[in-house]
Amino acid sequence: MLTIALPTGRVFTDAAEMISLAGLPCDGLASPGRKLVIEAGDFRYILAKPSDVPLYVSYGTADLAFVGGDVLLESAMPVVELLDTGAGRCSVVVAGPRSQAERFRGHASELMGLKVATKYPRIADGHFSARGAQVDIIHLHGSIELAPKLGLSDCILDIVQTGSTLRANSLEVLEHVCDVSLRLVASRKSTALRWKEVRSVMNKISSLVKEKRS
Amino acid sequence: MMNRLPRGCVNVGGELASAMEECRRIFIAFFESWGYSPFLPSGLQLLESAWDKLPSQVRSRLVALTTPYGEPCCLRGDITLAAVAYLASHYAPEERPLRICYSDRVYMKSAPPRTSIESFQIGAELLGWEGEGADAEMLSLLLRVLDALGLERTTIALGDSTFLQRALASAESSAAESLADALRRGSLPDYFAVLEKGNIPDFYRTILSAIPRLRGDISVLAEAEKLWGRGAPLSALKTTAATLESQGYGNRISIDLSLARDPGYYSGPLFEVYSWESGRSLGGGGRYDRLLSSCGLMGQAMGFALDLEQAAGLSRFRARRSQVMAWAGGLSPDEALRRAADLSSDGTCIEMNWNVDRNTSLQAAEKRGCRSWVDLASGTAYTLPPDGKGGAS
Repeated sequence: MLTIALPTGRVFTDAAEMISLAGLPCDGLASPGRKLVIEAGDFRYILAKPSDVPLYVSYGTADLAFVGGDVLLESAMPVVELLDTGAGRCSVVVAGPRSQAERFRGHASELMGLKVATKYPRIADGHFSARGAQVDIIHLHGSIELAPKLGLSDCILDIVQTGSTLRANSLEVLEHVCDVSLRLVASRKSTALRWKEVRSVMNKISSLVKEKRS
Repeated sequence: MMNRLPRGCVNVGGELASAMEECRRIFIAFFESWGYSPFLPSGLQLLESAWDKLPSQVRSRLVALTTPYGEPCCLRGDITLAAVAYLASHYAPEERPLRICYSDRVYMKSAPPRTSIESFQIGAELLGWEGEGADAEMLSLLLRVLDALGLERTTIALGDSTFLQRALASAESSAAESLADALRRGSLPDYFAVLEKGNIPDFYRTILSAIPRLRGDISVLAEAEKLWGRGAPLSALKTTAATLESQGYGNRISIDLSLARDPGYYSGPLFEVYSWESGRSLGGGGRYDRLLSSCGLMGQAMGFALDLEQAAGLSRFRARRSQVMAWAGGLSPDEALRRAADLSSDGTCIEMNWNVDRNTSLQAAEKRGCRSWVDLASGTAYTLPPDGKGGAS
């Protein structure tokens, strides 16, 4: 039996749809209710909080998983990233009030001491360190857009899909950090010991992704 | 009471410590019986000795400090380096190959999700052999010792860094570096993105495209050989895999030609050990001839290390119960110890109990999960229930 972890929340529908369209057994996955473990055919699906998904995979509790690229980057956990499904595509950006834009256009030294509120402290640290800018990272767990408004930070680092939340809070994109989308990942152990089964799932999802792109 | 440990450190006691000690003992005794000498390396290594031999991603994980004599050092992050230095400074060429085995702590910052900085390693190294056989010897002994520890449900994923390096040699150095890095990180989308852009001859592009899926049973080697044609750099791996298969270990090995391991000094067959009962690798190793030559030594070097704590946790010694509780039963300490010594002379594991009250002693034996309880005064023995609950029978 192959165990696949699925993130609850925003990308769950995309992942469940992909499983269904790829022809994997998925009875009960469309409306799981309060169930957190669903078995269908030779598959067991674990419904987990998105930020916990890489952990399930890196410890080998799940053989495979769908996980957002942002979560994967932030977790920095040792998993094998098999496929970019292209679903749920969005960007990680630095955003802030227009008054901050000038600092981002100038020399990196202008950014020294910049206060950045984010749910992604590791990505933020990597991004600003690569630019040689020492910034003050404020780790928040939600409603990031509030931080600049209330003077807690100068800007935010967050994911953006349409930009409407930013606009609603009078923020604009100051810097693009990276693109993210839903990824198919596997545990290192499973790619070593159960490659045939892992590959079969990967091929099915890959064909589906190619079909959608063409 | 504040009894926190420094972050990343660990105290191990109780059943796990006992299992670790048993595994350590069996491991060392097994390798000694195959001519491997125990090795106890220094706890500190000079930074200048370790720095240039380790890749940057490993250097950044070392725990650096300065000795009271002012020498910049790191806590021993890797026993292999110490073993090679020991060989270089203590053994003449005619005394090689050197076979050593060890069980000791190593200190290195872990990759997420773990936060540990210290771990327990058991391992073995075969240094300075010039001919065939070292790879097969090491892997065969590894499988045998895993069995001796009760880790029969383990599989060795075998790769070959030469195969990968020869294929990568066709790419420009920056692309080759990015491809190797993507494999180490386990990112296939990044790997294929670099491959697509890189200026690589078609022959090698085909091989490099296939590498991430060249995993599975031993037939993968034939597939890889067919792809490469004559001169495929797989002979060492093929010999090793064939030897293990002929020894009956065919179902305990899997091939993974995309395998890349930290610390990155490998230069031939390399491997990772996985247990079906655990998600993380138990350890691994491989050939690291280049590390030997960087110390001015010729010949092959082959070794491996396992995480002792993980191995013991999965071993057959993990859930062992205390064997027999021996109640003094009002006897003088001298007489009680004499009778207990008789009882343990056949190898029975006993634990003394000096309680005055018989029932209290019996209850203590049950609570502690003893297999049985013996009244040393009368010689009466009771078998206790296996779950440590309920009355004696």
